[in-house]
Amino acid sequence: MTQGSLRFEGREVPIHDGDTVASALFRTGVRTFSRSLKSHRRRGLYCGTGECPNCTVTVDGVPGVRSCVTPAGGGMRVERGRGWPSAEHDLLHVTDLMHPLMPVGFYMKTFVRPRFAWPVAERVIRRHTGSGPLPRRREPARTTSRHLHVDTIVIGAGTSGLSAALETVRAGERVLLCDAFGVGSQVPRPRRDAIGALEAEARKEPGIEILEGYAALGVYEGPTVALASQDELVQVHPSRIVVATGAAETHEAFPGNDLPGVWLGRAASRMASAHGVPPGSRVVFVASTGEGLEHLLALVAAGTNVTAAVVPSAFVDRVPPAVEAIADGELVSAHGRGRVRSVVVRERGLERRLRCDALVLSTGLSPRDELARMAPDEPVEVVGDAAGDGDTPRVTGGHLCLCEDVTVHDAEQAWAEGFRSAEILKRYTTATMGPCRGAMCGRALTAFAAARSDEGDRAAVARTTARPPVRPATLETLAASVHEMIEKRTSLHETHLAAGAALGWSGGWKRPFSYGDAAEEYAAVRERAGLMDVGTLAKILIAGRDASALVDQVFPGRVADLPAGRTRYVLALDEAGYVADDGVLCAFEDGSYLLTSTSGGAERMDARLREWRHRLGLHVHLLDRTSELGAILVAGPRARDVLEPLSDDPIDAAALSHATHADVTVAGVPCTAIRTGFVGELGFELHHPRSRGPELWSALQSAGEAFAIRPFGLDALEILRLEKGHLYVGQDTLPDDTPAKLGLDRLVDMGKEWFVGKAALERLAAMPLGRRLTPLTFAGGPPDTDGLRGMPVMAGGDVVGRVTSAATSPALGRAIGLAWIRTHGGELPTDLRVGEATATIAETPFYDPDGERLHG
Amino acid sequence: MAELSTSAPSVTAILASAEACERVSALPGACPVSPVEVAIVGDASITALRQAVERIDPDALVSDVSDGWVLHTLDGPGARDAFARLSELELPFSGFVQGAVARIRVRVLVQGDRVDMLVPSMLAAHLLERIQDECRELLT
Repeated sequence: MTQGSLRFEGREVPIHDGDTVASALFRTGVRTFSRSLKSHRRRGLYCGTGECPNCTVTVDGVPGVRSCVTPAGGGMRVERGRGWPSAEHDLLHVTDLMHPLMPVGFYMKTFVRPRFAWPVAERVIRRHTGSGPLPRRREPARTTSRHLHVDTIVIGAGTSGLSAALETVRAGERVLLCDAFGVGSQVPRPRRDAIGALEAEARKEPGIEILEGYAALGVYEGPTVALASQDELVQVHPSRIVVATGAAETHEAFPGNDLPGVWLGRAASRMASAHGVPPGSRVVFVASTGEGLEHLLALVAAGTNVTAAVVPSAFVDRVPPAVEAIADGELVSAHGRGRVRSVVVRERGLERRLRCDALVLSTGLSPRDELARMAPDEPVEVVGDAAGDGDTPRVTGGHLCLCEDVTVHDAEQAWAEGFRSAEILKRYTTATMGPCRGAMCGRALTAFAAARSDEGDRAAVARTTARPPVRPATLETLAASVHEMIEKRTSLHETHLAAGAALGWSGGWKRPFSYGDAAEEYAAVRERAGLMDVGTLAKILIAGRDASALVDQVFPGRVADLPAGRTRYVLALDEAGYVADDGVLCAFEDGSYLLTSTSGGAERMDARLREWRHRLGLHVHLLDRTSELGAILVAGPRARDVLEPLSDDPIDAAALSHATHADVTVAGVPCTAIRTGFVGELGFELHHPRSRGPELWSALQSAGEAFAIRPFGLDALEILRLEKGHLYVGQDTLPDDTPAKLGLDRLVDMGKEWFVGKAALERLAAMPLGRRLTPLTFAGGPPDTDGLRGMPVMAGGDVVGRVTSAATSPALGRAIGLAWIRTHGGELPTDLRVGEATATIAETPFYDPDGERLHG
Repeated sequence: MAELSTSAPSVTAILASAEACERVSALPGACPVSPVEVAIVGDASITALRQAVERIDPDALVSDVSDGWVLHTLDGPGARDAFARLSELELPFSGFVQGAVARIRVRVLVQGDRVDMLVPSMLAAHLLERIQDECRELLT
């Protein structure tokens, strides 16, 4: 019965019950599933268990999806990644004919000289190799990360894994059972029935947590096991690890072994029995193990026309009568153009050619024991097929490594060049380093080295080092924990939530962006009074006998003469003379300073000060008070009226003028009040003990009721500060901005004997500026000025800069912003456009240029 | 099992010469953060501390920083197991260690089955959430 259809390169492919993407495509006649990595050889279905790279396709824009283990879904968009113009008719197949000209490592040898050749060659090679293009437009995935603590993790939910999990849970331990696919899904078909009972038991057991679709990537010290699913990274911390990852079928290397139509037993029997599609119309089967015989019988039972079976003489009696049994025969090679047409078999010393369109091999097992081998010092046990010795594959020719397109001939050449052990062959040829991570070819490579090395040369034949990840994972998943945000909160967090604030991330803090109406919040600050939580500011106390020497040398401005009670806006430069941060420095009677700087930058600033204290050998105490002090900004023409009834201390213009600070008690809370002007109005920053924040906030709100005071958030602040032309270091600056480029020369005193970055600024002074942060006004732009931020600034068809901040100014009635703009001969270009808008260079401050309101 | 509790501790920061810091490092609740910085957790008299330190280093800074810190305490036979889920720090039987706990820098005082985690107030909610998530079935 069909269950909808998927779309494959422009045509509809019906989906039957239980179909994988591969079985649905194979049923409609698709035989070439991909093109090989380098030589663009045709590749067809091979392992059927999600190990080899042959069946990888692009599903809904995501490349590298193994179609043999991906359930088909209605509406899926499936394409083959590689090939030009298409995977079916791929002209790049010509690279296969050029193979003799491109020995292993050719790109390292061939494009060394002339030196310009490599970048060109690299571009060509990059375009024509790989797993297909990365998705162009895709919503960023929301990968998450978590930690799990269990007694035992069992990796692999096949027969042995389920048994191990049940045994462990009965001993009273908590067990995590994970499988890269699903419980029992990789168990060879003839043995499927036995697993049903085990699975039912395990699913009933409350002590077993089952994670399906979670691939174990590696075992690390600790021990820690990393599991990756499509959208989650799980770090498991067990006391014991049971590896039950089973085994892949042996990959034999013989001439023609990568032709479409060459199958491994599990893939063929699954295709015939589960999906009802015979792997071919004339099938030759090579079986040398009991499992192989089971696959042969399953194929015949499903009605597949198996014409001949090459089996050990012991199995001859069990080969069905309709199949010609070739006892103790030996497979020599497979032939055909584009797909298998015949195979050559050696029987009692004579070679025979058998016509066929499919060759199925089931000749042994290749244990998937990488997880156990990568962590010899961790408590790892291996059970089931993964613990077996495995069978040694024959290596006579053809493709040694399917993923990386390495032939036996390539390996022979490398051997002749002196790379004479499995490990260095791996490094030189990249065999085993592809998406199968050596599951298919690892043993073939070792067998190759063993056949050529002296007996007893154990280093030559040692298995190659197993390294994570043992299964493919996306970088998105691996980076999941990077996105885990550490949330900093001020003492007013609950207060903001209760007030209905929209909180967002800003510099590692959760901060209110608005309390519902940013325009009204703006108006309150400009016309009456506003209240803002600025407890997020970095606050560092600089004390000790050399405090003044440190600030004088770390900051480029004149600060040593800053009298107690005064404040000064300062820049912090790095040694290259680039602006790293800014802040406000307050000087105290006892010779100490309080530095407030950019929210989220406390650690950086603290580290900078500590480093220079050490390098200059100064006796200075540095105490980061960011967490300890809250801060509330009261700003607006009525700000003083709000504060006056709450304080007995003098806060009039004479006692507390602009750019000064004083210790005052407000509503019973001891505060350091700093007169600041970031928003361009009369403003008091009240720094107070963090625990007193909520009561101070509430007292200020009550006192401000008479003036219709409003709390305001970052959205209103953005407009307020832009109207004053104030910049945010980081948002409006580039990493190589000097004070001159930002128009902040006045904050640098080149007359000082020394400060951090002075030598660099002296050198840079002789050079043209190159670019300048420039205030702009816009006309005719989009109604939502948010869209202007980040837009290129154009002049006469050339990009000359970029908008760093933009907002619609209610005070000016037009859009304003800041942009960095390239200068030519020291001059800024004219006739600027930003998208649809025309931009005009302006002067800052846009608002209250004489600062009358600030000093109020 | 372990009991989780949260409290607002008294914390005094002492920034002084190595000699002065060493003098107070043996006090109960002392966190020798670096050779020239000690935090004292508990109700030590700040005046007494200042006198003791300034006798050796007149330029020392002794400051009440209680508001900057919150104490999350795990107490009980499962406390060390619970802590191990949050951090790779090795706990002594008794004493002070500092380092990453739930990816933030935390000062840890241990006494037998009691683990006191001194965390900056601004990060206290983050750590509390992580303890509750990671150690759920170990908490009473």
